[in-house]
Amino acid sequence: MAITRTGAVLTALVAVSVLGLSACSQSSGTTESTTAATSAPTASAALPAPFDGDPLKVALVRQSGAGDYFEAWGAGAQAQAAFANIDLQVTDARNDNAKHASDLEQAIASKPDAIIVDHGQTDTLQPLITEAVDAGIPIIVYDLALTDSEGVITSSQSDESMASGVLDQLIDDVGDGAKVGYVSAEGFAALDRRAVVWNDYVAEHNLDVLFSTGKVSESTATDNIPLVDAALKQNPDVQAIFAPYDEITKGTVQAVIQNNLQDKVKVYGIDISNADIEVMTADGSPWVATSATDPAAVGAGVVRALALSLAGELDETDVQFPAKTITQQFLADNSVTNVTELRAAEPSLELSDTLVTDWLPAVSE
Amino acid sequence: MPSPRATAPGAPTPAAGDTTAGTTAARVSATRRSTGERAAAFVVKWGFVAVTAALILFFLITEPNFRTVDNVFGMLKYIAPTAIAGLGVMLAMTVGGIDLSVGASAGFAVSIAAWTMVIGNQVGGVAVSVVLVCGLLIGALNAFLIVVARIPDLLATLTTMFVIVGLKLIIVDGKSISSQMTLSNGTTAPGKFTADFLWLDRGSIGPVPVPVILFLVITVVLWFLLERTRWGRALFAVGANPEAARLAGIRVQWYRTLAYMGCGLLASIAGLLLAARIGQGDVSAGNSLLLDAVAVALVGVSVLGIGRPNAWGTALGAVLIAVMVTGFTMLGLPYYAQDFGKGVVLLVALLFSFTFSRRRTVVTAGSTTSAS
Repeated sequence: MAITRTGAVLTALVAVSVLGLSACSQSSGTTESTTAATSAPTASAALPAPFDGDPLKVALVRQSGAGDYFEAWGAGAQAQAAFANIDLQVTDARNDNAKHASDLEQAIASKPDAIIVDHGQTDTLQPLITEAVDAGIPIIVYDLALTDSEGVITSSQSDESMASGVLDQLIDDVGDGAKVGYVSAEGFAALDRRAVVWNDYVAEHNLDVLFSTGKVSESTATDNIPLVDAALKQNPDVQAIFAPYDEITKGTVQAVIQNNLQDKVKVYGIDISNADIEVMTADGSPWVATSATDPAAVGAGVVRALALSLAGELDETDVQFPAKTITQQFLADNSVTNVTELRAAEPSLELSDTLVTDWLPAVSE
Repeated sequence: MPSPRATAPGAPTPAAGDTTAGTTAARVSATRRSTGERAAAFVVKWGFVAVTAALILFFLITEPNFRTVDNVFGMLKYIAPTAIAGLGVMLAMTVGGIDLSVGASAGFAVSIAAWTMVIGNQVGGVAVSVVLVCGLLIGALNAFLIVVARIPDLLATLTTMFVIVGLKLIIVDGKSISSQMTLSNGTTAPGKFTADFLWLDRGSIGPVPVPVILFLVITVVLWFLLERTRWGRALFAVGANPEAARLAGIRVQWYRTLAYMGCGLLASIAGLLLAARIGQGDVSAGNSLLLDAVAVALVGVSVLGIGRPNAWGTALGAVLIAVMVTGFTMLGLPYYAQDFGKGVVLLVALLFSFTFSRRRTVVTAGSTTSAS
C-alpha cells in the first residue's frame, strides 16, 4: 500500500515538475526572441552611487498586476531596474485594497532602499506613505492621488493629455451635440482625472449623454459586457462611446459587436497593448481611437525617476509621462499588429528622451 | 458524556497519539502496530507542524528582513482578518456544516461601518456595535435557512452570500464610501473614519498590533469553548452524528444555530479589521477572503492529526499562509507562484487528513468530521 502511494505521489511530482519546466522553456523562449529583435540600449557612463555596489533593494507595491497594461508596465519596470542594478521585490494585491495596505506595511517593515507604490486608494495608503517618509525611505507613487505628498515623488501618465487627445478625435468624428455613452468607474485616480476631462468636453460640446455605466473588477473586460449590453439595448441610437480604460474598452467593444451595432457606434478608448491592437485592427472593429503611452516605457520611466532621485539628479517632484493619440486608421496605414511595431511607427512612445542620462538610458524590454 | 466521535464497531484502528478516543480497542491495537505504521502516524501528527517550522526556519536563515519583530507582527496582522474569518468557518464545520458567506459578511461589515461613520456621522463605537449586530443577524439568517428551512448548508450560505453582497451594494449605491464623497443629494458626506475606529488596525498595545491581539484572544477563547466545555463537546457531537446527539439529549438545532451565529459574528469582526485597514468603505473588500478562510479551516483539520475542526490548527494554518506569502515575496516569487504554493500546502494538508491518516475523515455536504 505504502509503496503504491509513494509511487503515485512521485509520479504526480514528476508530472508537475515537467509541466513547470515546459512552462518555463516556453516563456523564456518568447522573451529571447523579442529581446533579440530589438537592439538593447547601452549606457555611455558607469553607474554612479548608490548603484555601483550590491544591488539596491526596492519594493514595488502594486494594487494589481493583471491585465495587458499592468503586465507590460511591470515588465518595463523590471527591465529598467535590472539595468540600474536594482533588485525589485514585487507584491501584487490583486485589487484587494486591504492586502495592498498590508503589502506596503510589510514593505516598510523590511526597510528597503526605496519603495514604488503603483496605484491604490488614497484613504488606505496615505497614512502608510507618510509613515514611510517619516522612516526616511525614499518613495515614489505612480497614479495614486495623495492628500499629503510631502517628501514623495508623484508620477502619472498625463491623463489630461490622454483624454483630451482622444476626445478631440471623438468630436472630429461625430461633432457637437452627438448622442454619446460613457463607460467608466469612480474612485480610481486615473479614471477620476479622465472623468474631469470628459465632463468638460460634455459641457463644452453639448454632448447628449445617453448612458453612464461601467465598473472595475478582477475581470473588468468580461464584467463590463453585460452592463454595456443592457445600455445599448436601451439606447441603440448612441453614436459614440467613451470607455477610458482599455479593459473597459474591450468589454464595451464586445458588447457593441454582440448587439451588431459596430457600423453605427464608434468606441473611443484609452491605453494600448498587443491585445488592444488586435481588437482595434480586427475586421469591422468599432474601436476607432485610443490614447496611448507605452505601458512598458512608463513602468521603466517610473524606475528611472526613482533612480535619478536616489542619485540626486531629479529636479522635479511630480513626473508626467506624455501620451499620443493612436487611430485605427494609423494602425491600418502602418499595418501595425503589436506594440513593438507601433513603437517603430511612432517612436515618441518609447520615452527615450524622458528622464534619461548618460548612465541611464531608457530600457523597457 | 462519551467522546463526541462515536467509535463505530469494526472501524479501522485509530491513529497513534489519539488521546481523546482512548478506547480499549485502540490501546490493544496500538501494541500490535508495525514500525511503518507508527512512522506514518508520526508523520500525520507532526508532518504539518514540521513543514511550517522548516519553512519558517528557511526564511529566518535566508531572509534577514524576515527575522525582524516588525515583520513577525506585520505577518500576523496581515493574516488576522483571514484567520478570524477562518475560525468562523471552523465553527460552522464543528456542527458538520460550512459557511460560504463569510467573505460577503466581512465585506458587508466594511460597507456598513463606513456608512455608519461617513454618512451617518456616528462615532467608531456605534459603527462597531452596528456591524457586530449585523454579523449576528447574518448568522441567524444562515441558521434559519439551514435549521428551520432545511436548505443544505452549502446552498443556503451560497445564497446568503449573493443576498448580502447585493444588499450591501444597494445600501451604498454600488459605490465605495469615503470621507468627503458627494452624496446623491449633492451635499458632501458629513463624517469620516474616526481615529478610535482606525485604531482597530493601526493601533497597538505595547508592541503588539490590535488585530494580532484580537486574533490570539479569539483563538484562545474558541479553543477553550470547544475543547474544555460541555458546549464544545455538544457542538462536535452534533457534527459527528446529529441523531446520536439528539438521543443523548443535546438540543441539536440550538447548537447549530449558535455555531452559525458565532460564524457570522467572527466574519463581521474580520470585516471591522478590513475596514480599519482600508480606511474607506471599499465595495470590493472581502471578495478574496472566503477562499483563504475556508482553506485555513481545512488546513486546521489536518494539523496535529486531530482530524476535526479546531482553533489552534486553524490559527496555525493562517500563520503558515502568512509565512508563505511574506517569505515568497521576499524571495522575489511572483504572486501566482504564491497561489501555487498555497495550493500545494492545502493539498498536502488534505493528503494528511484523508489519505495518509488511518483515521477516517468523513466529509458530508461541505463538512469535515472525523470518526475513529
